[in-house]
Amino acid sequence: MSVEAGVVKAGQGGQPGWAARRLAGIGAGALDNARAARLLYSIFIRTLYYSVRGRREKGAVLRACYGIGNRSLFFLTAVMGFVGMIMVFHSCTQINRITGDLHLVGATYIQLVVRDFAASVGSMMLATRVGAGIAAEIGSMVVTDQVDALRMCAAEPVDYLIVPRFKASVVMTTVLLVWAMFVMEVSGMLTAWGMFNVNPRIFWNLSMVDFRDLATGLTKCLAFGAAIPIVSGYCGLTTFGGAEGVGWATTRAVVWSCFATILLNFIISTTALYVFWA
Amino acid sequence: MTESLVQLEVAGKQPGRVSRGAERAVRRIGRSVVGIAQQTGGILVLLGKIVRRFFPPDIDYYELKRNLHKMGNRSLPIIALTSVFVGAIMVVQASAYVQQFSATAFVGWGAGYVILRELGPILIALMFSGRVGANNTAELGTMVVTEQIDGLRSLAIDPISYLIVPRFLGMITMLFVLTVFGNLVALCGAALFGQLTLGIEWRVFFHGITELLKPWDVYVGLIKSLVFGLIIALSSCYFGLAVRGGAPGVGRAVNASVVASAVGIFVSDYFMTFLLD
Repeated sequence: MSVEAGVVKAGQGGQPGWAARRLAGIGAGALDNARAARLLYSIFIRTLYYSVRGRREKGAVLRACYGIGNRSLFFLTAVMGFVGMIMVFHSCTQINRITGDLHLVGATYIQLVVRDFAASVGSMMLATRVGAGIAAEIGSMVVTDQVDALRMCAAEPVDYLIVPRFKASVVMTTVLLVWAMFVMEVSGMLTAWGMFNVNPRIFWNLSMVDFRDLATGLTKCLAFGAAIPIVSGYCGLTTFGGAEGVGWATTRAVVWSCFATILLNFIISTTALYVFWA
Repeated sequence: MTESLVQLEVAGKQPGRVSRGAERAVRRIGRSVVGIAQQTGGILVLLGKIVRRFFPPDIDYYELKRNLHKMGNRSLPIIALTSVFVGAIMVVQASAYVQQFSATAFVGWGAGYVILRELGPILIALMFSGRVGANNTAELGTMVVTEQIDGLRSLAIDPISYLIVPRFLGMITMLFVLTVFGNLVALCGAALFGQLTLGIEWRVFFHGITELLKPWDVYVGLIKSLVFGLIIALSSCYFGLAVRGGAPGVGRAVNASVVASAVGIFVSDYFMTFLLD
């Protein structure tokens, strides 16, 4: 109480001083973040609950699969093809500068692609495309009061809107990222063949990929596939403020799903390092 | 116009001559080709209009300052967070190999090369496109849908020099500045994590960067960030101004702009990697 009074006195005429305003700003920010984290957690738990116990609408998951999976296929293939070419070009030029022995480029590259790069780069691409789509759809339903109408009909919005997208995203992200691994390997192989004369048979060397790499890569696929719809669904459900609000929701969905994939990647990579390799 | 012509042609044809599926496929291909050509042309025309406003300079400096603050300063926290983790992930990925060959002296070089030349500029540009580019498209799109742009025009205020040029300059400048900052943070994150997991001294880490990398490696990343800024600015402004069809149209435009920026970033990165080697 006395601290509060002192801070107030520091300003003029009973107005809060700059220190009080700063403190209030920090406190408000912390409260906002805590509230957001609690809501995100509650949406996650409810999604898991309704995935098991919820009602099943015929075809909802399949439609979501089509929207998330098939319609991202071309985009993901194009981007990951270019990423594969860039990575192999860089590694081959660097190796040529130092040793010039390109025998193990393929094996190491495939190991890195399976363990990390297909999942991390590909999931960021999916986060931009799928996350923006989910947040825009749910957000425009929120600002046009359709979600409130759902609640009035005693239908839980999480069950109705997020669960089908969650199931579809877990399946389709895994499928798409495995496809991305394949695309990256083929485009990398063609680059090594065309520009550095590495025989495709030497490049396509799977001897360094073992269970540990596969387990790490697939865990990442599943985790990213689960995180993207939850985070963007949360951003969509918390939309306010009309059409402009939908734009903001989309932006937040893209940024926070990208950040979620980076954070999860860090956690899974570190865990895998200590479990498998340390 | 093009669509109505296609419909006329299709209506004039006798049904059953060409199978429905084939016809639909051809029509879809044609429509997407026309769409891509329209978008490319629109973006180039927009670029031309923007460039013309620089001779003589016709820029709203108040808007420019406001946009620089909104796009740059307010993106700092998310860029810093992303960069720390990107640096840390680089070291975690490298550590299995480092322990195998005990090549601790090269960790600084490897992380520095990848972060400065490729990963730093690309990831920061992707985050920037998600945060700033998408928001810019939504803002401009809402203005178009609510006829605020026509309102500006009716007040004899040129929308390009009042709205677009400040955003264009703001995005290019701020992506460049944020890339410099993000590279630094990512390198510090890598160094910190290298010490925590692999026990590599900071001195050894930064020695590897300064000894084995050339200034050119830094410049390549920065040139890339300028080009990425140009791509994000053009695509987000173009898709924002080209919004049709009310509020749902704004959502579609945001999606299209983010996707176009991401594809543009990776494709241009591929060509720059060749040209700037």
